[in-house]
Amino acid sequence: MGALSVSQFVDLMVGGLAVGCVYSLIALGFAMIMRATNIIHFAQGEVMMLGCMCGLTSLWLLPVLPLLAVVAVGMASSGIIAVAMELAVYRTLRRRRVPIMNLITATVGMSILCINAARIIWGSEPLRFPELFATTAYEFGGVRVSPQLFWIMVMGVAIMAALQLFLKHTRTGLAMQAMAQDAEAAQLMGANLTRMMAYTFAISGMMAGAAGIMLGSMFFAFFEMGFITGLKGFVAATLGGLGSITGAMLGGILFGLIETFSTVFLSSAYKDGIGMILLIAILLVFPSGLVGLWQKRR
Amino acid sequence: MRPVTLLVVAALIVLPWIDPDKFALHILSLIAIASIAAMGLQVLLGYSGQLSIGQAAFYGIGAYTSALLTAKLAVPFPLALIGAGAAAAIASLLMVPITRLTGAYLAVATLGFSIIVYLFIQNEEWLTGGSYGFIGIPRAELFGYVLRDAMSSYYLNVGVAAIVYFTFARIEGSRFGRAINAIRQDADAARASGIGVTLLKSECFVIAAFVAGLAGSLYAHEVRYLAPNDFTFWKSIELLIMVVIGGVGSLAGAILGAAVVVGLPEYLRAIGDYRMLVFGAILIATMLFGEGGLAALFATLGRRVAAVSMRSASKLPPGNEAAR
Amino acid sequence: MSTTAEDGAWLLEARSVSRRFGGLLAVDGVDLAVRRGSVHGLIGPNGAGKTTLLNLVAGVYRVSSGMLRFGARDITQHSTAKRARAGIRRTFQNLKLFGEMSALENVAIGLHAQMRAGFFDAVLSTPRHRREERSIRGQSMAVLHFVGLAGLAHVRAGALAYGHRRLLEIARAIVARPTLLLLDEPAAGLNVTEAAHVSDLIARIRHDGTTVILVEHHMDVVMRVCDEITVLNYGRRLAHGTPGQIQEDPGVIEAYLGRSGENQSAQA
Repeated sequence: MGALSVSQFVDLMVGGLAVGCVYSLIALGFAMIMRATNIIHFAQGEVMMLGCMCGLTSLWLLPVLPLLAVVAVGMASSGIIAVAMELAVYRTLRRRRVPIMNLITATVGMSILCINAARIIWGSEPLRFPELFATTAYEFGGVRVSPQLFWIMVMGVAIMAALQLFLKHTRTGLAMQAMAQDAEAAQLMGANLTRMMAYTFAISGMMAGAAGIMLGSMFFAFFEMGFITGLKGFVAATLGGLGSITGAMLGGILFGLIETFSTVFLSSAYKDGIGMILLIAILLVFPSGLVGLWQKRR
Repeated sequence: MRPVTLLVVAALIVLPWIDPDKFALHILSLIAIASIAAMGLQVLLGYSGQLSIGQAAFYGIGAYTSALLTAKLAVPFPLALIGAGAAAAIASLLMVPITRLTGAYLAVATLGFSIIVYLFIQNEEWLTGGSYGFIGIPRAELFGYVLRDAMSSYYLNVGVAAIVYFTFARIEGSRFGRAINAIRQDADAARASGIGVTLLKSECFVIAAFVAGLAGSLYAHEVRYLAPNDFTFWKSIELLIMVVIGGVGSLAGAILGAAVVVGLPEYLRAIGDYRMLVFGAILIATMLFGEGGLAALFATLGRRVAAVSMRSASKLPPGNEAAR
Repeated sequence: MSTTAEDGAWLLEARSVSRRFGGLLAVDGVDLAVRRGSVHGLIGPNGAGKTTLLNLVAGVYRVSSGMLRFGARDITQHSTAKRARAGIRRTFQNLKLFGEMSALENVAIGLHAQMRAGFFDAVLSTPRHRREERSIRGQSMAVLHFVGLAGLAHVRAGALAYGHRRLLEIARAIVARPTLLLLDEPAAGLNVTEAAHVSDLIARIRHDGTTVILVEHHMDVVMRVCDEITVLNYGRRLAHGTPGQIQEDPGVIEAYLGRSGENQSAQA
C-alpha cells in the first residue's frame, strides 16, 4: 500500500469529513423519526433527493441565486415534502394502529413513488450543479483545502449545532424531545402530538434537503441518488446508535471517514459494499451502536 | 382440491391449444417465473412475518448459476435447475445470523446483503460478464427434448410454478406452518412454548431462497440473456409489490400479484414508463385502504356470488336472511 | 434456607436472584424455593417485582446475579425456549394468544416441542406428519375439555370473550404436561365466578401432578388454592409461609394496607 503523503492524507481526511457531514444530516433525520415513531423511514433518502432536485431547479430558474439561498430552497422543499408524506399517509396509518410491517411497506411505497416521480420530472440523466463555490483552493498553514468541501463542512456543522440548540433550548424543541420519550405524558403536559410529529418530519426533511444540496454540488444530482445514500445515512445512524441524535452525528462523520479511507485498500467498485457489510456487522454485533457501547462502559 | 383450483389448472393446461399466441405464452411464462419467486417471498413475509427486500439476490444467484452450469459446463438442464436452487439456498445460509433481527432491521439487512450480491455480479466480469451481460444461454432441455417453442417453455414454467404452489399449500395446517404463523403473530409467545424461533425463521429463508433460485434459472433459460440490471433492488421491490398487491398471506395472491405486475404493463403500453410509479402508489393505497389485496377481493366477490346463488337455489326472496 | 437433605423435594430454587434495569433494582436478592407438586403463590403490592421474578424463572430476562435451579439442573443461562422444552411453561399477564388462529391451533402450538414433523413431512404428508397431527388434535381437544372450552375449539382466538381467552392461554400452557407451570395473574379482570373457576382449574392442575407458581392479586384465588406463599415488596422477599401465616403476618399487612391495617380485606 505504501505510505500516504501528507497532502493525500489531508485530501482523504477533508473528503471524508465533508461526505461525513452529509451522512450525519441524513442520519439525524433517521434518528429523529425513529425516536418519534419507531419506524425506519425508507423514503428519507428520497426526501434528500427531492430537496436536491428542487434546489437545482431553483438555480436553473434563477442562476444568480447565492449558495445560501439554494440551500434554503432545498431545505424548505424537503421539509414540506416530508411533512406532506406524514400528513397524507403515515399519520393515518398510525392512527389506525396498523401492524408495523404495513407502516414500513408504506414507506417503501413512498420511496418508489418519489424515485419514479423524480425520474419522470427530471429525467434519468445525472445533472451537474453549476459552480457554487470558489475554485481556488484555500490554504491553511501550508495545507490546501477545496473551498467546496470546506464550506460544506462549515454548513454541516452549523446546521447540526443549530439543531442541538433548537432541541435543547426552545419550547418546541423540548416538547419534541418529550414526545419522543413518552408521547402520552407529553400530551398530558399540553403538547399537540400532530403538530410535534409534523415538526419532527419537517426538521428531518430540512436536514435531508441541506444534505441533498451538498451532495449534489459535490457529485451530481440524479433520481436514484437518494437510494444508496439514504441507505448509507441509515448505516451511519445505526453505527452511532439508532434513536440517538448525538450518535447520528458521530456515526455520520465516522462512516464518512471509514468509507473514504477504505478506497485506499479497496477497489472503488466495491466502495458501496463497505457500508453494507458494516451495516450487517453492526446490526448483528452491537445493534445499539457506539452510543450503546459507551453507555455499557459505565 | 377445491373446484376453483381444479378449474384454473384445467384452463392453464388447455390454454396453449386454444390460443397459441407466442407472445401471450411468453408473457404467461414470465408471470409463472415471477410467481415462483413471489411465492417464496410469501412464505417469508406472509407466513413467517419476515420482510425481505433482498430476494433479487437469490433470483440472480440462481440465474447466473444455471447459465454458467449449462453454457460453460454443459450440465444438463434439470441438474442446472436444481443446482441453481441449491446455490441460492447455500448463499442464504449466510443470512442465518440476520434472522435474529426483526422488522425494519431485518429488511435493511436483507437489502444490504442483496446490494453486496449485486455488486459482485456487476464487478466480476470474468464470471458473469458484468455490465456486458451474459449471452449464449442454451435453451432448456428435458430428457433430450429441447424446448424450442413458446408452448413447451410455457408448460415447463407453469409446471414448476404449479409444483411450488401445491408444495407450499401443504404448509398450512401442519406443525411447521402453525409454528411460523405463531412466530409471525407473537415471537415471544412462540418461544415460551418451546419453539426454536431463529431456526424456523432461517428455514423459511432457505426455502424462499431455493425457489427464488429456481425462478432465476427458469428466467435465464427463458430470456437467454442476463444483465446485472435485472437483479437490482428494484427486482426485490417488484416481488414485494406482487405479494402486497396479491394479498399478504395468500399463496394464490402471490400468483395474482405476479400476473398484475408482470402482465399489466405488457397490455397497457401507455403505462410503460409510469409502471413503477403506479405500483408505488398502489402499494401505499393497499396499505391505507385494504390489506387483503387482490386475493381478499376475489374471496369477497366469491362469497357474494356464492351467497347470491345459494339464495336463488333455495328460492328464498332476497332479504330473507333471518329465515336461514 | 433450602436444606440439602430435602433437595429432591424442591422443584425450583432461586438463590439470591437479582435483576437490574439501568438504575432500577426490580428484584433484589430474592430466595425462592418451590416444593414439587405444590401451588406456590407470589404476591405483593404493585411494583413489588412479582412479574419480573416470574420472567426471570421463565427466562425472559437473564438474572443480573444469582442462580436458578430446576430439578437437578442449573438453568440460569438457559434460553426461554430451552426452559420451555425442559418443562417450564407459562401464561402472560397481558395475554399473548395468537389471535388469528383458532383456539385449537393455539393449544396445538403448546405441543410443538413434543413433536418432530417438519417442512418436508408436511409437504410429503409422511406417516409421521399424519400420526402427529392426529395426536396433536386429540391432546388439544382433551385439554380444551379440561379447561371448559371444548365448544369453542374452532373459534378464532381473537374473537373469544376475555374470560375464555384467559382459559385458552392456560390450556396452551398445560397441553404439554409441563413439570412447572408459571401463571401470571390468570384471574386478572375476571369476575367472582370466573375467578372461582380458575382456582378450581389450578387445583385440578396440581392434582394432575404439575407444580405451579402463581402470581395473583385476587386474594380469594390465592388463599384458596396456594399451599405456600412468598410475599415480595420493593423487590425483596418480605415473608414466606402458608396462607394462614401470611394473613397474620404484620409486615405483610402493613405492606398492603398501610399502618392503619385493622381491615382484613386481604382475607378470603
